[in-house]
Amino acid sequence: MGKLRPDKRPFQLSTTEGNNMSTSTPVKQIELNDLDLTQLAEVKKQLEEELAHLTTSFEQLKQAQARFQDCIDSVKTIKGGNEILVPLTQSLYVSGELVDTDKVIVDVGTGYYVEKNSDDAISFYTDKVEFVKKNVETLRQTIVTKQNNLKSTIDIMQYKISQGTASTSLQSK
Amino acid sequence: MEARLEALTNEYQKLQKDLSNAIESRQRLDSQLQENEVVQKEFKLLKDDATIYKLIGPVLVKQDKIEATSNVDKRLEYIKSEIKRVENQLADLSEKTEKKKLEVIEFQRTYQAQIQKTSSS
Repeated sequence: MGKLRPDKRPFQLSTTEGNNMSTSTPVKQIELNDLDLTQLAEVKKQLEEELAHLTTSFEQLKQAQARFQDCIDSVKTIKGGNEILVPLTQSLYVSGELVDTDKVIVDVGTGYYVEKNSDDAISFYTDKVEFVKKNVETLRQTIVTKQNNLKSTIDIMQYKISQGTASTSLQSK
Repeated sequence: MEARLEALTNEYQKLQKDLSNAIESRQRLDSQLQENEVVQKEFKLLKDDATIYKLIGPVLVKQDKIEATSNVDKRLEYIKSEIKRVENQLADLSEKTEKKKLEVIEFQRTYQAQIQKTSSS
């Protein structure tokens, strides 16, 4: 069942991140300068949460990509030879021989598995890797914009704080 | 008066919880939709005599391409209708939450006014 996961996660993440983008960016751009410190702190907190969420998504996508790459490598390896060690438990193996190295069964998602020859399997996984790569790229861009947003929020906060202390010190004089 | 306020806040909190539940299921449906669409696309690329297995519990069971395809199509349809349903639910809930919020604020104001009146008199 664990195999199903790399399929599921990237899609889910790409959609949630799309939602975040549409709801939060316009609000910030319009009002940042007019907000007072507490509101800015609120925005900052929200941005930080989003960033944390996006960064974990990014990691997961990277992992998914690596997993698909592993699949490609495995298919290539079994083509090379037909001797294999079969794990019976984690510490016990028997040697075996692959009868048919050109036929593999590929998990295409939602519980369906398709029999493919190794070339088809490799191209299937290559497509997956490309797909995930594209998602990683868009996600990376979102993260960069979020980071910029966070930075400008912090800048404005610092500016306001320095202004605030300046005016109070003026008043105290 | 206090009990009334508490009841109102409870109702509001319950609505908020429902709303976040609805959002969650909307997101889950979305990921299911995406996954099924990928499978559908993959099936279209397959030859008609391709061997397809379906995972049922821990076993892989062989299945016709036609059967598997219609199965996925049906699932997609179901998911799409579910998304529509949840979407309506979402709109309904956010409207209700907004209304309840105003109600709570309004009530708090009258409550506060009441307290001031009693304390000043």
